[in-house]
Amino acid sequence: MSKAQRGQSVRDRIKSQREAEKKQEQRKRVVTYATVGVVALAAIGAGWLFAANQSKPEETAQGLAPVTIQGDGSAAMGNAGVEAPVIDIYEDFQCPACKQLEETSGATFKNLAAEGKAKVVFHPVTIFPQQMNNGITRANSTRAAAAARCITDGKQWMAFHDKLFATQPEEHLEGFTTDQLIALGKEAGVTAPDFATCVTSQKNAQGHLANSDQVMKAAKLDGTPTVKLNGKDMDQDVTFTPSRLRQTVLDAAK
Amino acid sequence: MTALLPPRVASVAIPWVTTVARLILGAVLIVAGGLKIGSIQQSVMAVRAYRLLPDSLATTVGYGLPILEVVVGVLLVVGLLTRVAAVVGGLLMLAFVFGIAWAWARGLRIDCGCFGGGGQLEAWEEPSYLLDIVRDFGLVLLAAWTVRFPPGRFALDAALGLSGGRGDTEIEGDDNE
Repeated sequence: MSKAQRGQSVRDRIKSQREAEKKQEQRKRVVTYATVGVVALAAIGAGWLFAANQSKPEETAQGLAPVTIQGDGSAAMGNAGVEAPVIDIYEDFQCPACKQLEETSGATFKNLAAEGKAKVVFHPVTIFPQQMNNGITRANSTRAAAAARCITDGKQWMAFHDKLFATQPEEHLEGFTTDQLIALGKEAGVTAPDFATCVTSQKNAQGHLANSDQVMKAAKLDGTPTVKLNGKDMDQDVTFTPSRLRQTVLDAAK
Repeated sequence: MTALLPPRVASVAIPWVTTVARLILGAVLIVAGGLKIGSIQQSVMAVRAYRLLPDSLATTVGYGLPILEVVVGVLLVVGLLTRVAAVVGGLLMLAFVFGIAWAWARGLRIDCGCFGGGGQLEAWEEPSYLLDIVRDFGLVLLAAWTVRFPPGRFALDAALGLSGGRGDTEIEGDDNE
């Protein structure tokens, strides 16, 4: 073997060794990449699942607790003799966050009342001022709340209340027209014979607005939805997490 | 900008600029996501307030957005998968710019929800759409820079021999410019 040949073979060996190292390096790189990627995706997936699970609404297992319409347009839901703890819910039929509260925790409120663990009082208010969206939002809210006042039966009121939130219009568009409200009432099984005329005439609108202002001042509302437990504001993180909401109310009942 | 600098200065400065861009974008994402993680329903509310997505989809996005922001933010700060993270972060910011512009154009009065706000403004609050758009667009630019020049100094990618995405040749290429 000549000197030149020997040099050639050494060079070859070094070359192939370098290539092998390069390949291994590459493989290592791919593995590292894949690992980090999988871990990141898993973290995102786990976080999503946790969030979704936490916000999962309860099922309404049992029937509705008796609902009584009160003189000021509020509705009290609870089994006979259950006077505490009291959950006050201040909500606006046109407020999207209230709709979300109903979707997330509405079932929990109903269940707690049906189980005799709490008395739940719904206070429909109109929080949107006239200056917003040229008054459209306020008008929607007022028509809906005035229509709810046309109902005298508690169970029908609750069904109508649920329908209103389920079909809530966008807040910058005109919605909850009297015709729509009458149709919703029918769907909710409202039987009051003068319901249609009561909704069309909007005879309860002034009463509702006057009462709404009074309630908002008395309860010192910053916004809707506001949920109070025995008169104290509840944290939104609690009211929007069904399991925490339930636990907080049960703790208050002790 | 790089063209104005002598090549040697650019090759030193660029990785540092990337590091700063990464840290700013990453920190913003972590803070924005972290504030929302504690109150997931507010995140959903904020996404819904844009009225860009149907409610059910908005809910899904609202659940996932905070954790996505935090994870991408952490990746950017430590400089792992830098390029991928910067692409996702940049797309998120672009989506926010689009969402805010959309809300503005439709006359929705919302709080951008950027930092865990509830989405809906109180009656007396005025939205600051322009400011939000400018800020988020600035962050898009930082993301774009990071995508172009990954992974910068103090990046785990470099330590692991990854160089942030398939951009292994990026830095060397700049040396030759």
